[in-house]
Amino acid sequence: MSASSSLFESFGSTDNPALSVRAKLSEVDDSMRLPAVFFILASVAWLLIGTVLALLTALSMHPAMDTVKLGGSAAETMPILRTAHLNAMAYGWGNNVAFAIAPWIMGRLCKTRIRHIPILLTAGVFYNIGVLIGIVGILAGHMNGPEWLEMPAYATPLIAISFAMVGVWVIVAFRWRQSDHIYVSQWYILAAFFWLPWLYTVAQIMLILVPVRGVVQSLTNWWFAHNVLGLWLTPIALATAYYLIPKVLGRAIHSYYLSVIGFWSLAFFYNWAGVHHLIGGPVPAWVISAGTVASVMMVIPVLVTAINHHLTVVGMHKQGWASPTIRFVVFGAINYTVVSLLGSAMALRSVNEVTHFTHFTVGHAHHGVYAFFTMIMFGGVYYMLPRILHREWPSASLIRIHWWMCAVGITLMVVSLSIGGWIQGTMLNALTDDGGVLVPTFSFEEVTNSTRPYLIARSFSGLLLTFGHIAFAISVCWILLKRSKPDNQQPTLLSSDVN
Amino acid sequence: MDWTPYIGAIFGIACLFFLGAAYALHWAHKNKQLENLEEGAMSIFDEEEPAGEQTDFFPGKLPKS
Repeated sequence: MSASSSLFESFGSTDNPALSVRAKLSEVDDSMRLPAVFFILASVAWLLIGTVLALLTALSMHPAMDTVKLGGSAAETMPILRTAHLNAMAYGWGNNVAFAIAPWIMGRLCKTRIRHIPILLTAGVFYNIGVLIGIVGILAGHMNGPEWLEMPAYATPLIAISFAMVGVWVIVAFRWRQSDHIYVSQWYILAAFFWLPWLYTVAQIMLILVPVRGVVQSLTNWWFAHNVLGLWLTPIALATAYYLIPKVLGRAIHSYYLSVIGFWSLAFFYNWAGVHHLIGGPVPAWVISAGTVASVMMVIPVLVTAINHHLTVVGMHKQGWASPTIRFVVFGAINYTVVSLLGSAMALRSVNEVTHFTHFTVGHAHHGVYAFFTMIMFGGVYYMLPRILHREWPSASLIRIHWWMCAVGITLMVVSLSIGGWIQGTMLNALTDDGGVLVPTFSFEEVTNSTRPYLIARSFSGLLLTFGHIAFAISVCWILLKRSKPDNQQPTLLSSDVN
Repeated sequence: MDWTPYIGAIFGIACLFFLGAAYALHWAHKNKQLENLEEGAMSIFDEEEPAGEQTDFFPGKLPKS
């Protein structure tokens, strides 16, 4: 297939043999160089911005840091900074890195060169302008109420159109595939690029443009927010893991049957799970029950994916440890199992009564988006960039620093917030019989003070993550700026003659 | 306020997701994508990146063959 075919031809018949040429992996890598570098650079910039916003969020609650407040009290400032942090990480880092990794994997599996690069780049530029406008708008106090949709309405059309443009591009690549079999990663990526524009557009219409009111707003909000995790970030990360684990180790996935079951059960069940966030709210009981059942049903795809990922690596731990990609991806895969099983447990009413409105939920969110999704994306970048640039990573030490800082940092964060959050929830729910009247056993101040050691541990973990992100950013900039001869002898292998 | 129409709308959207997945599964079956799965598992390997060879190492740590 010609990379220079017209847009009209790309949407036309796929029967034209002149346009249907099978591409080598190295040709796919070369064709993806420009958009991948653009999206990776954008993602790293947003990762650093998001990290700074996270640190400012923590500092904004400290009495000695009045200078960082945007105005008014810390209580007014902290939510704004925290929201800007979430959006920078989710829309800035998460989506940009997904736009780099997922199309590259799709192109490789479709064995087709990436076409219409200007369209992909245009979508990327407009997307990042939209995110920038959105985050500046949040910092200016123009944010909306619904979680994960806080960007002001004047920023979101750019983002929605960009989502659709990248999605259409992925579908075009899929249409022109030159492979007979559709690998499970292709299913995940194709589905994710269908689901994201749909979710985002419906949520924007129902929550921002023609907003529903009351509890239905919350219902729609959590249908969207939870599905962004489960039907966008999760399939992208699982597609990457299903591609890179067997690819790096040179061993087929343990049970391909199970991987197919895992994809289809995710596709059928996950969409219903989000309403478990509203347990205890004034929502019809059957809606909550449907969400709880769907959440527990998620155990099926989680277990089959866990079996597949972990049994593929069994017996090859030494080889895996020698690969930066496998270190990050397997760490993410292990955490997918843990965070998903915890998520199913948290959807049970008895557990949710304790964890809701506590730091446990915050820890769970970081567990999913960072320990699972972000770590797998780091692994993807470590595999992809040398192959599309034909250059070796400049420093093994920087990769090791990145790995240890992030692995220890996120583990500490999740463990401290989970333990602290559980204690917090238990204390909040504790009641004492005071002459026939049930009253809270602990005052709000006692509950808050009980969380202090865990929040200090969380702050320390944030510092570790910051060091890891700086090491990662240096590595990425270094490999991009490094002047070296391309290694065309083994374009898909890392060369040993490094400086 | 009567929320039934709104909940119905959300329920309908959820159903569309479900039906979309069902159609995709039907398409996969019709196009024989659910057959010879173990063979499909090997589709990620080719002459450039063959099965049986590890393809990623720390910089400078490529084992000598």
